[in-house]
Amino acid sequence: MVIRVLVGLLVLCSFWLAGTGPPVPAQTGTGPEKILPSSVGLPKGSTAKELSSTPSAGPVTIQIDKTQLNNGGALKVSGRAPAGKPVYLEIYAEKTVRANFFDNKRDPATGQIPYILYLTDAMPGYYQIVVPKNLQNKIEEIKKEGKKWSFSKALKDLGGEAAFSQPAQIKVDKFRASILASITGSRGELLPAMDEKENKKRAMQLAKARFQKVGKLLTAAVEVNPDGAYQAQFKLASGLPDGAYKIVAVADKNLKSAPILFENKISFPVLYLSNAGTSINLFWPFLLTLAIAVFGVLMGAGGGFILNPLLVLIWPLPHNVVAGTVMPTVAFSQASGIYNYSKIKFINWKVGVIVGLSMLAGGFIGPKLTELITLDQFKFVFGWILLVLAALLIWQTLPGYVSKNKQEQAILQQFKKRAVEAAQGKKA
Amino acid sequence: MEIEFWGQQFKVNMVIGCLGGFLIAIVASMFGFGGGPFMMPLMALGMGLPMYVVVGSSLLAIFFNTVIGSLQHYRFGNFDGLFFLIMFPAAILGGYIAPQIAKRVSPLGVKRIAAVGLIILGLILLGVLF
Repeated sequence: MVIRVLVGLLVLCSFWLAGTGPPVPAQTGTGPEKILPSSVGLPKGSTAKELSSTPSAGPVTIQIDKTQLNNGGALKVSGRAPAGKPVYLEIYAEKTVRANFFDNKRDPATGQIPYILYLTDAMPGYYQIVVPKNLQNKIEEIKKEGKKWSFSKALKDLGGEAAFSQPAQIKVDKFRASILASITGSRGELLPAMDEKENKKRAMQLAKARFQKVGKLLTAAVEVNPDGAYQAQFKLASGLPDGAYKIVAVADKNLKSAPILFENKISFPVLYLSNAGTSINLFWPFLLTLAIAVFGVLMGAGGGFILNPLLVLIWPLPHNVVAGTVMPTVAFSQASGIYNYSKIKFINWKVGVIVGLSMLAGGFIGPKLTELITLDQFKFVFGWILLVLAALLIWQTLPGYVSKNKQEQAILQQFKKRAVEAAQGKKA
Repeated sequence: MEIEFWGQQFKVNMVIGCLGGFLIAIVASMFGFGGGPFMMPLMALGMGLPMYVVVGSSLLAIFFNTVIGSLQHYRFGNFDGLFFLIMFPAAILGGYIAPQIAKRVSPLGVKRIAAVGLIILGLILLGVLF
């Protein structure tokens, strides 16, 4: 074994010296002696000794046809598991993202609403459990449940609970949310850490909150032969995090392969947005923002109204990141607008500051609430906001408003002229 | 409350202005938009101010919301720096291009198109369309 490692190192060094970088051979994880000490997927307590002492079960092996993908692509996974066992693949990115889930559903047992916010920074930026191909029907059934589907129930139905292991161990913070805490801009009281079982349950809810759709977390692709050999054709979508990914083949709770690694590469102009957990070709959001900024000025409303919903509809961006990132982009144009108006003394400071202070209080509370709602609730409320805004715009095109507006605009221009003259007169 | 603007006296209803501003700010900062189109009617109709007072003063009021809302979003980890760097130059550039185009288009036409676009987008978000 030592010799094998040494040879491996030598081969790596020679490639490094040649400047071509490591090769892209099919990686193979075989033999328990090599993989077990480093396996992440193994449950605690099952040592190499334990597994090797049960030769009848035999270890699970895994190999992939390539170790590098370019912004997604197809991947073939194959290997061997004990005959007669179903095989599940757990695939996850090493890059992590934030996920949050607000539990405000009435508990049927106690009849109380918990109001608890679960939050983690360690959710894999990509997570998928590939189940045996013959379970496709069941996945279709789960999809029919619509938005209310439950990841933990789905895993139970598909028999893949044992495959859910990486996120089960992530650190999940638990906060007791309250109205008072929201007003003071706090997440609420941090509750004590959860036990292993609850952590796993909450991690499943967080995964669902983060990835939303059944198809994003579950696919049916593993074909298992009667002799225990399995293979799966698998496609990694574009727009996912870059960096290392791991795959673990799982036959049951104690029968797992060592994780096998592959890398997802992205190159400019595709960039990985670390907080949003999405890779994106930077030109598209740039052009979209430009077009909407222009249109926003023309119609007399800020661009955020149109930009935010479009961003969450087009890309898998979390709504809290969209809201939190679009908001500061308008600060500069607002500041320059204020400066221009103030030069011609066109701001009533008393009104602006007093109303502004009440908006300051509102703006302090709002961002906290963004993480308490789901993407669907975000879309729902935004839908109504846009309809109200459309009604306001239509009202502004009605003849009565237009003629009144014409007079006011004329006065506005007159005042502007006077203001500019006054400002210039002062200078001269 | 009485205010003075260019030698004219106005009576304004500050209670409506502050209460409305507070509520609009919560929703606007929660969903990440400015809130201008809602503040304009609030100040014009609710507070009884003429348009020429509203335009500048509402912008100042909204700026308070934008600044504190952005800071709070940052505090709660909702800000993505790289994403900001992509969108920020586009927003600035848009602000320079728009006035050039504005002279050539009818504001009424733009508003009508925008209203239709907003209704379609709103219905998509509500799951009624597509």
